Amino acid sequence: MSGLVTRRTILAGGTASLLAAPWVARAQANTLKIGMQSIMSGPIALLGTSSRNGLMMEQDRINAAGGFLGRPIEFVIRDSKGQPQEAARVARELVNSTGCELLIDAEASSASFAVQEVVRDLGNIACIHTNSETSSLTADPKIRAPTAFRVARQGVHDAVAGSIHLAAYADAKKLNKWATCSPDYAYGRDTTAQYLQFFKQFKPDVEVITDAWPKLGQPDFTEVITKLIQAKPQALFTLLYAGDLSAFVNQGNVYALFSQMTVATPNVDYPVLAAIKNLPAGIQSATRYLETFPDTPANKEWGQAYLKRWNERPTNWSWQNTVAMQFYEAAIKKANSLDAKALAAALTGMKINTPFGVDGTITMREDHTTIGYAIGWGQTTPKEPFIVDVKAADWGKIIELETEWKKQQKYI
Amino acid sequence: MDLDALGACLTTSACVVTQTTSGLIVGMLLFLVAAGVTLIFGVLKIVNFAHGTFYMLGGYVAYTAIGITDSYAFAVLSGALAMALFGALFERVLISRVYGSNVLMQLLVCYAVVLIFDDLVKIVWGPEFHAMGMPAAFQVPPLFIAGGVVPPFYAVLIGIAALIAIVLGVGLSMTRLGKTVRAAALNPQMVSALGVNTTALFAIVFAVGGGLAGLAGALAAPVRSLSPGMGFSILIESFIVTVIGGMGSIAGALVSALLIGMVRGFGTIGFPKFTDGLIYILMIAILLLRPQGLFGRRS
Amino acid sequence: MRGHAALRDAVIAAIALVVVLAIPFLHRSPAFEDFIIRLSAMALFATSLNLLVGNTGMVSFGHGMFYGLGAYVFALTMQMTELSLPVVAIFAVLVTAVGALCVGAICVRLSTDYFAFITLAVQMLFFSVIISWQSFTGGDQGLRGGIPRREIFGFELASQLHLYQFCAVVAVLGLLALRHISASPFGQTLRMIRDNETRASFLGVVLWRARLWAFTIAGAFAGLGGVLAALFVSGAYPELADWPNSGQAIFAVMLGGIDSFLGPVLGAMILLALNDVVTRFTEYHGLVLGLVILAFALGLRRGVLDFLRLAWPGRSR
Repeated sequence: MSGLVTRRTILAGGTASLLAAPWVARAQANTLKIGMQSIMSGPIALLGTSSRNGLMMEQDRINAAGGFLGRPIEFVIRDSKGQPQEAARVARELVNSTGCELLIDAEASSASFAVQEVVRDLGNIACIHTNSETSSLTADPKIRAPTAFRVARQGVHDAVAGSIHLAAYADAKKLNKWATCSPDYAYGRDTTAQYLQFFKQFKPDVEVITDAWPKLGQPDFTEVITKLIQAKPQALFTLLYAGDLSAFVNQGNVYALFSQMTVATPNVDYPVLAAIKNLPAGIQSATRYLETFPDTPANKEWGQAYLKRWNERPTNWSWQNTVAMQFYEAAIKKANSLDAKALAAALTGMKINTPFGVDGTITMREDHTTIGYAIGWGQTTPKEPFIVDVKAADWGKIIELETEWKKQQKYI
Repeated sequence: MDLDALGACLTTSACVVTQTTSGLIVGMLLFLVAAGVTLIFGVLKIVNFAHGTFYMLGGYVAYTAIGITDSYAFAVLSGALAMALFGALFERVLISRVYGSNVLMQLLVCYAVVLIFDDLVKIVWGPEFHAMGMPAAFQVPPLFIAGGVVPPFYAVLIGIAALIAIVLGVGLSMTRLGKTVRAAALNPQMVSALGVNTTALFAIVFAVGGGLAGLAGALAAPVRSLSPGMGFSILIESFIVTVIGGMGSIAGALVSALLIGMVRGFGTIGFPKFTDGLIYILMIAILLLRPQGLFGRRS
Repeated sequence: MRGHAALRDAVIAAIALVVVLAIPFLHRSPAFEDFIIRLSAMALFATSLNLLVGNTGMVSFGHGMFYGLGAYVFALTMQMTELSLPVVAIFAVLVTAVGALCVGAICVRLSTDYFAFITLAVQMLFFSVIISWQSFTGGDQGLRGGIPRREIFGFELASQLHLYQFCAVVAVLGLLALRHISASPFGQTLRMIRDNETRASFLGVVLWRARLWAFTIAGAFAGLGGVLAALFVSGAYPELADWPNSGQAIFAVMLGGIDSFLGPVLGAMILLALNDVVTRFTEYHGLVLGLVILAFALGLRRGVLDFLRLAWPGRSR
């Protein structure tokens, strides 16, 4: 008797769940899954975690406004540890197995190129790269992919903007003897070369008397600092960033480096500012994200909301991911579809309103990369807002020189 | 390659003093870490692949300690002692179980510890990088000696590390404990048969090794960035030092750590883009010409 | 006797291949197929390393350099020339073999501990050359733009199913070849060297030559694994040649079993599966992986397959 009951119960239960399955499945199928992958561990974990923070705020805002095409959005977040083969696997899993219908690729460097190949091979998924600053990802027609876009600053834009500012500054203060100190890998070498190329265009009498190439992540910069001090340049240009820049400043203070030369870097951002206890004043720095630039209520409001929610200040990566979602939002509304090709067509040439644009807008160009975002240069001060006298970069000039550079590289 | 610049530097006393100081500071901190590696290998025949974790945790403990008491001395002591304790625990709980095993099994255990603590550090202190900041007492301008620049903070650090080198050397050669440790390195069974508590001895060796690495991490915390995973590059460098100096030799660790420091200090002037490559080539050369290292014993 | 064993190995390989190839026709699972593709590359990599570690007693910390070399030569040649995929693949394996021969010539004469460190040093040097020679290798960004002309005998390897089939075939054949080498008199010589090199040399074995052969063969098969890895990512990246990747192979060997031929394959399976599952649930995968490794290392004290064979003795090797 008991055996029969058990079997019947199982049968009943099984039938019930089979009947229920479509309902259950349908309820889940309504959620729009968006895949997001980045570096969430290791020395650059902040890249992934601050990207995610920006995205979570967007998820709440978008869902409160009805989601995409009436469906609530949900991020599926994965850590690739910055390994390209893992990034490729994760991208494929997000699309093929987890059912993500859009991709946010918040990887950096080599991993973003690995994801690009996956997107190219799959052909049917829209992807926005949000943290890769290497120009070739979109500038090189061989590497560009039809459904992949980039919403992030580009090394070459920063190089032009920076050179214009620094050339003017150097002329005013008569700083002709420069030194460079950049991390010894593609970003450091290529971007320094770009800066110098444009710098010499604007100020032909600039002379680079010495250069230093520490390794990325090198704990101690002392021998580099002493070399630089002895070369006695009038100014130092450095592309060190994050923990390296923080260590360099702290170690440089030991040698009173900052009183012996003007230092210029595009990379002083809130995490660096938070870590350095004795920030020297007068460092020429670009803004990566600054609450007071653009000096608009919308920007300030976003920065304050981020700080309140996450108890830390936003990074460059935070705003880039936020704008990516704003682009997706606008493109999906325009195309009224999630189809990759339709979205690609909608995104190309699209201009959106956003607090992070220098004039309140950012545009996605035909070569799948963004322009018009806020780049400014100013100088540091030890207290809030940390970077003052910020002057906005001239986008007309940036695009003009970028085009020349692309011709040089034979991209166009 | 910039051999002219290198030549110019070597002939100027200011440059020599300055680069030598920077080489010394890099070298002495490296020595503290490598001394632990070589000591542990010499006595226990264990290659401690988790040594970078001691360095990292020493720095983080010091960072937290100075937040509590505002005393750099207390922070440094905390870092060193916490890591000495951690070293002893690590040896008792984990390493003691794999003494007889294949070296790769030991590597696996050490690597597991590295993975676990890299994530624990991220959970406790967060993923972002931190910096301790220079203690007020050391926020003074650098000294000028023979025209060269010598920051007081680094002079103090070099002094502390040199003192420790002397204590280690004297301790190992003249004290009873030191002689027992050296005897255990040569013949652990005999030492145990003579009634010495080798269990306690091995724990002490790991405590000293770990404490040294923790001390280095704490000493360097004011100027170096703290982040999860920072132990890895120190680990590799300390291995290079130990291989070049000779596994098991403290004197070797000192000489080769200073050598590496000087190669960095002057290599960055003569070979700015290839300084790391120089060090790897040096390591390969030693392994080919004198595999036991500069001061090691041929086994 | 050897003939029987060789036939048995071939039959097992054939059955395994048939099963693996049949699965997609019963049920398509992209995650499973990606898993098998990556497992193919890693199985070759780890098993080739065990030819050195488990069979010959040569602990190499730098084996990843050959995996990376195979990937780079393959991807570069595909991008720079018009040669067909099978030709380029064979070329990549040959170049890697030559590379292993050169590196081995320097390294094999050193005794165990030093051998481990010098292979590590050579790998680090190789890695820094990849990063520095940006114009050729793409530096730290890797070889970008994808691998063109991914076709072989009508199979379009850009399609996941075809890549799956290709990798399964290559991996099974490669493992079978390694099995053959390991079971051959040469393989026995290697094990004899591992157990007692003095006795081996008294018996007339030229130690350094045998070790060099082992090193070269191991390097070549690692290069073959690298070719599969390059196909999976459609490019080549420096991370494939970096120290942590060598570590992955070592862990696969240790977790799976250093004394069993299929140990490294099982270890690779465990590592990959752990990685895939854990990253779906937590960002603290290091913590989880570390705890799992400790459980294996301290609990089982040996690789899984070794443990099982000790627990159920009676099966011949």
